[in-house]
Amino acid sequence: MSALGSAWHWLISAQQWHGANGIPARLAEHAIYTGISLAIAVAVALPAGLLLGHSRRGGFVAVSAANLGRALPTLGLLVLAFTVSSASPAAWLVPLVVLGIPPVLVNAYEGVLGAGEDLRDAAVGMGMTGRQVLLRVEMPVALPLIIAGIRTAAIQVVATATIAAYIGLGGLGRYIIDGLATKDYAMVAGGAILVVAFALVIQIVFTVTGRLAVPAGLRHRAAGS
Amino acid sequence: MITFEGVTKRYPGGVVAVDGLDLEVPAGQTMVLVGPSGCGKTTSLRMVNRMVDPTAGRILLGGRDVRGSAPAELRRGIGYVIQQAGLFPHRTVEDNIATVPMLTGWKKGRARGRARELMDLVGLDRQMARRYPHQLSGGQQQRVGVARALAADPPVLLMDEPFSAVDPIIRASLQDELLRIQAELHKTIVLVTHDVEEAIKVGDQVAVFRPGGKLAQVAPPERLLGSPADDYVEDFLGFDRGIRRLSFFGSAGLDLDVEAIASAEATVGMARQQAKDAGQPWLLVVSPQRLPRGWVAAADLETYADGTALGDVPLSPCGHTFRAGADSLRAALDATVLSRTGRAVGVDARGRVVGVTSYEKLRAAIQVAEEASESAGARGRLAGGTRETGHAGGAGAAAGGNGAAAWPGPVPGESGGTA
Amino acid sequence: MNDEGQGLVDWAWVTGNLGLIAYYAWQNLYLALVPVLIGLAVSVPLGIACARWGWLYPPVLGVTSVLYALPALALFALMIAWAGLTEAIVIVPLTLYSLALLIPGVVDGLRAVPEPVRQSATAMGFGPVRRLVQVELPLAIPVVIAGLRVATVSSISLVSVGQLMGVGGLGYFFTDGEQRDFPTEVYVGIGLIVILAFAADALLVLLRWSLTPWLRAREAAA
Repeated sequence: MSALGSAWHWLISAQQWHGANGIPARLAEHAIYTGISLAIAVAVALPAGLLLGHSRRGGFVAVSAANLGRALPTLGLLVLAFTVSSASPAAWLVPLVVLGIPPVLVNAYEGVLGAGEDLRDAAVGMGMTGRQVLLRVEMPVALPLIIAGIRTAAIQVVATATIAAYIGLGGLGRYIIDGLATKDYAMVAGGAILVVAFALVIQIVFTVTGRLAVPAGLRHRAAGS
Repeated sequence: MITFEGVTKRYPGGVVAVDGLDLEVPAGQTMVLVGPSGCGKTTSLRMVNRMVDPTAGRILLGGRDVRGSAPAELRRGIGYVIQQAGLFPHRTVEDNIATVPMLTGWKKGRARGRARELMDLVGLDRQMARRYPHQLSGGQQQRVGVARALAADPPVLLMDEPFSAVDPIIRASLQDELLRIQAELHKTIVLVTHDVEEAIKVGDQVAVFRPGGKLAQVAPPERLLGSPADDYVEDFLGFDRGIRRLSFFGSAGLDLDVEAIASAEATVGMARQQAKDAGQPWLLVVSPQRLPRGWVAAADLETYADGTALGDVPLSPCGHTFRAGADSLRAALDATVLSRTGRAVGVDARGRVVGVTSYEKLRAAIQVAEEASESAGARGRLAGGTRETGHAGGAGAAAGGNGAAAWPGPVPGESGGTA
Repeated sequence: MNDEGQGLVDWAWVTGNLGLIAYYAWQNLYLALVPVLIGLAVSVPLGIACARWGWLYPPVLGVTSVLYALPALALFALMIAWAGLTEAIVIVPLTLYSLALLIPGVVDGLRAVPEPVRQSATAMGFGPVRRLVQVELPLAIPVVIAGLRVATVSSISLVSVGQLMGVGGLGYFFTDGEQRDFPTEVYVGIGLIVILAFAADALLVLLRWSLTPWLRAREAAA
């Protein structure tokens, strides 16, 4: 395929590897945007999901959040943020965080619920307070699902950050957007390949982390994405 | 009807589930396979409809090797009932029952009509026809399972622990239903259970398996109880098999005493005389309609005035009665044991007193019944007969002359279990 | 520049452009539902195969999971090499995404059929194909539809990303609204996508309700 061939040439050509528009720079940007947004999303959604699950209330909230998160169009939110904030340079942050929240929230909620009544019963019967039950029993058991949820959120955030290039964000999406604008399809394809590689690396990192962090006895509970 | 010839099932890894089984299941009878877990009874059952294929030996159904037919076709001619019923959750009760007829090409209307007939047969209210399985109780679901197995009118019915998953009261009534249905339909039934009481209650023939897939003994339940082949079978049967065996002996030959019965309108003076003549320590007082009122001790009669009516004297309750001639010797024995006076009252179908029994009379009747049973056994198998109340029919020559009939089965309504 | 005092949405524009809105809404639905339907058509046989031959499932699941993790924009961009700037660049990746959701749906649904039900069907003389069609697949419907709902909702939303290549259904209003600095279009785009997604979801729930009368009875009892 000559298109991929030219993409390959674009990738390996020396100039791509230097400067503000070089691959390392864009890679770093993408990683930073992803990291910050994911961290905020987790900081917000994880406690919320754990509490909702523990209190056995708000199932409706969790399900609605999941549905809404899937239905809300990424590009639309980014453009909205950009327009409403009158082209603020940080306009990208809100949509990235907002779209990263639902998977973490839902999985934390379901993870806690999945620990089951028997486990809770036993823990309470042993004299644990509510908070101890949550932190020492429910959360550890929910860990596989929680990690899966964060992994899904990471996918979402990486994807959103890619699209955010449209409203002026840096990162690997820059190549795709700029390439489309200038009809430089080698750049478009090259950028796409980089994004795919980045996403795959993130996946591998999470899978490995998951395997390390989750004790053997719990692994069969992991329902995955 | 069904013959196992040297059937062996060996699993990879060395486990022998069934070891050289030779067994003949006569047509029109219920053969119960009983034994502990892992004894091969379920595996043997499942080889009949080829859910499992034997490693060695063969199984004949109506004289033909079951491996001669395609499995699906074979199975449509055999009814199969399992413990959790396995009803299709997504079909109504009537559509569940109509499954095999529809599978073999019946029109839906005709199949559903047949389904409703079967609901009547198994004792299910027709109103349930359009309900879904989960809306029924456990016992009702099992009845649907049985109806479904009978829908295509197969000659053979295979039942794998069909009543084990329901509570004892429901189980007893389902067992009674099975007996009733079988009396009507005379199917060839092979039933697997781990409950020896169920085997004895329901089986015409009982095959006891031992662990390792070998057959320990095959016999009608009464003979099994009376003559277990070895220690294993005896252990398996449990400790009071002697008494349980009495369920199979009718009380028709039980000699009942009528001398010590007095009317409530008789006077104490007359009663005292009667008691002396009869030589009995207790008198049974009955109403003018001959319904039992209670016992009075002959010794106590001394304390009352001659002219007092017996009915006005304080009486001991007569407790548990038994139906003379219709109930088994076991029921009569039980009533005797429960009675404070050591005597049981035999009544007829309308509750009127027929006579009184005692331990001595029971002992005599039991001996007679045992001898009759042994001579019948020596002359060949006891015919299966029917299990209906009051019929000693088909018990062979045992009935002749001795007055005692070997009962063809435990009387319906008695729970076989020890308390 | 935004008009002060217009409020959030310029309804005059909306009423004046209903035809345009309808056109893009229709395109959005088409671009979202065709992949889901193709995905379903592929997932059912593939899912049956994975349920039947268990060793098949982990590799299939692995491939679809990896694909699902890849950002849509990148996949659309890669498709340009094969399909140019046509609808295929959206339809093919969305089909692959739906496979990741529907194959597990079919497999889990089939695996959820209780073993006694399967056994009794075999014992009654159902051949394997008939058993699949008359017993196992009907019982798998709720789980499959659950997967369908997720696939449909995300599909409808993801189509809009294709707008960056000119194939984006209601996404048109995002780029147009950005270029013209006209938030009304953006609100309309977001609002309609969400409405369409939820409507499709509701229709699927209705479909499940109509296909599973035995569950209706269960809910009535509960």
